[in-house]
Amino acid sequence: MRPVMGAVLAIAVIVGAGCTSSGTPSHDPGRVVMPVKRVAVPGRLYLTKSRTLYRFAGTRLTALLRGTTVKDPAVSPDGSRLAFVELQAQSSSIVLSDVLGQNRRTITPAAAAEGALWAFAPAFSADGGHIAYLTDRGKQRSSPQNLQPNDLGIWMEDTAGGQPRSLVAPVAYTGGDSDPTFRPGVGDQLLYTSYLYGGVPLQPEARLSWLSVRTGARAYLSPDQARNFEPAISPDGRFVAFIHGSPAGDDLEVMPLEPSYRGDPRPYPTEAAVVLQTGMVSQPVWAPDGSAIAFLKLMNGSFDLFILPVSAGGGQLRATSAAEEVSHGSFLDADSRLAWSP
Amino acid sequence: MNHSGASGGTRGLSLRRSHWIVLGAVVLGVALIASVLLYLWPVLALLDNRPAVPARGVPAPAKPPPPLDSTQRINILLLGSDNDQKFQQNALLSQTMIVVSIDPKRHQVTLLSLPRDLWVEIPGHPSAKIDLAFAEGGASLARATVERAFKIPIHYYAWIGLNGLVRVVDRLGGVDVDVLHPVLDDNYPNDFSDSGYGTERVFLAAGPQHLDGRHTLQYVRSRHGDLLSDFGRSIRQQQVLLALQQRMAGMDLVTAIPTLARDLNGHVKTDLDLVRLTQLALFMRGMHGGGVHQAFITPYVHDATSADGQQILVANWPAVNAYLRQLFGADLLS
Repeated sequence: MRPVMGAVLAIAVIVGAGCTSSGTPSHDPGRVVMPVKRVAVPGRLYLTKSRTLYRFAGTRLTALLRGTTVKDPAVSPDGSRLAFVELQAQSSSIVLSDVLGQNRRTITPAAAAEGALWAFAPAFSADGGHIAYLTDRGKQRSSPQNLQPNDLGIWMEDTAGGQPRSLVAPVAYTGGDSDPTFRPGVGDQLLYTSYLYGGVPLQPEARLSWLSVRTGARAYLSPDQARNFEPAISPDGRFVAFIHGSPAGDDLEVMPLEPSYRGDPRPYPTEAAVVLQTGMVSQPVWAPDGSAIAFLKLMNGSFDLFILPVSAGGGQLRATSAAEEVSHGSFLDADSRLAWSP
Repeated sequence: MNHSGASGGTRGLSLRRSHWIVLGAVVLGVALIASVLLYLWPVLALLDNRPAVPARGVPAPAKPPPPLDSTQRINILLLGSDNDQKFQQNALLSQTMIVVSIDPKRHQVTLLSLPRDLWVEIPGHPSAKIDLAFAEGGASLARATVERAFKIPIHYYAWIGLNGLVRVVDRLGGVDVDVLHPVLDDNYPNDFSDSGYGTERVFLAAGPQHLDGRHTLQYVRSRHGDLLSDFGRSIRQQQVLLALQQRMAGMDLVTAIPTLARDLNGHVKTDLDLVRLTQLALFMRGMHGGGVHQAFITPYVHDATSADGQQILVANWPAVNAYLRQLFGADLLS
């Protein structure tokens, strides 16, 4: 009888406490779902859902590159070319194509002498002539008996072809660097995230980093023992939106950029950043005209696409109204970048 | 006559009606009990999956669980193991040991990770890494070892295998985690290969994202690419526990619990009873992020080599004890 009594008691407690759903969509619907009130997306916005590439344009949604497993789409500044990651079972390559996904050219190998390779996060330079990306190229061959680090470093090459070169070598066993993005308006500046460890005891940290591709000069734009990552630079090159991670959440913040840096700026510009959106936010990207920032945000258990109108004034950037929901309950790939072109 | 005849007929009719009412009530009652049992059968089967009686020489639990209506602290030892094909199923090391301490009075939860390589006294055995206790004597010996080393009374335990974690996460529809740094591991053990000895390449991008069961397992298990190795893994394990709690907070437990229990049968072992489990589930649903304290003894341990050549961690016990007094106050064993 005891289990029966226990069962009855448990039922009474569960039902009595009103343990019903609070609205969380528990499972992925397997497709991109639009809200009842559709939001028109200006230009073309690219994202992935279940590793399929989608393009929003106005209120139209189009699946591209069907049959290809895609991550991290990027679009050239003139909107004429795509770069994306094609995922294989245990490797990945950067592929260039036209905006319809045709005329594809793979620019990074899936394997080399050092073993299978990863490549992620392609980013076009302001003139579209170069592409930066992450790869574990140059690592030492590893095995369970002889473990070697395989962190991601930032590499760059001409989009027309040519020898790739390493821009930033990662610190071993940190996971490496991430989120490379060229600064519009100038030819030689790159922002990215450095993943490191700091504090006592050591804790993971993420620092916004600035690099002159021409001189190799580097600067941290955010402090240690903090997590600031996924920088996205405004089309005029004056502001950077990024994610500030803390135990309370992953907020979207924005801060101004100096024309250039000589060493780490103090105070760090992140200390004067403005919070644009709270919650669990990822992958910010600017509208081509700088009038909005799109991002993915966790809502009721699903990452969905939002667009936040912004405007600059007096050297500050502010949201002009609340973010609008472009997709609803769609479980979009929050680990894959967004791209937005005219 | 007619009158009395009519009266007898009415009496007979109401008698038949009351029979039908009683019969209906009985059928309804039986149906209700059957429904309750059918609903909770998977849960009861799961909770019945208890370990054998502790082996001889293993101390009994230091303290019985507090009564249901008490506001005393409840400590649960969470154990996680590799249980793929390359291990003997009755001698699994506990690769994860986390004490979940629930303080109803203060409405707080503390998660305390215990490093698997920590060198401790195991009751009835020579000193060894703490992960050996579960392999040598199951949950009862793991509990006794933790109680002896850390003076934390362990009221319950819950063990989960690799498949169990994957199933829990998938059944909940995945978890939402801010991956703390890129996870790259060229030699990640392929948990689900036939032999259990294969490796695979793993990559998880950093940042907020939704993880399914398989990728959650990779996140909490990979350590080759992490400077902090097992400590880094402990941080990630606690992070996923919190993400699971948040995920469950938004779920319909009435429908989720039996399905979850059915999925987990054989992949989870616990001595929690149904009522306590329900009580704790409800308590956790009401928890906010601010009420959860993450704790690690990492600052109070250092690397060393055992006499038999193993890479181990040795604790500065006075410092560990002082830290535990901060966390548990007077609730530690004397």
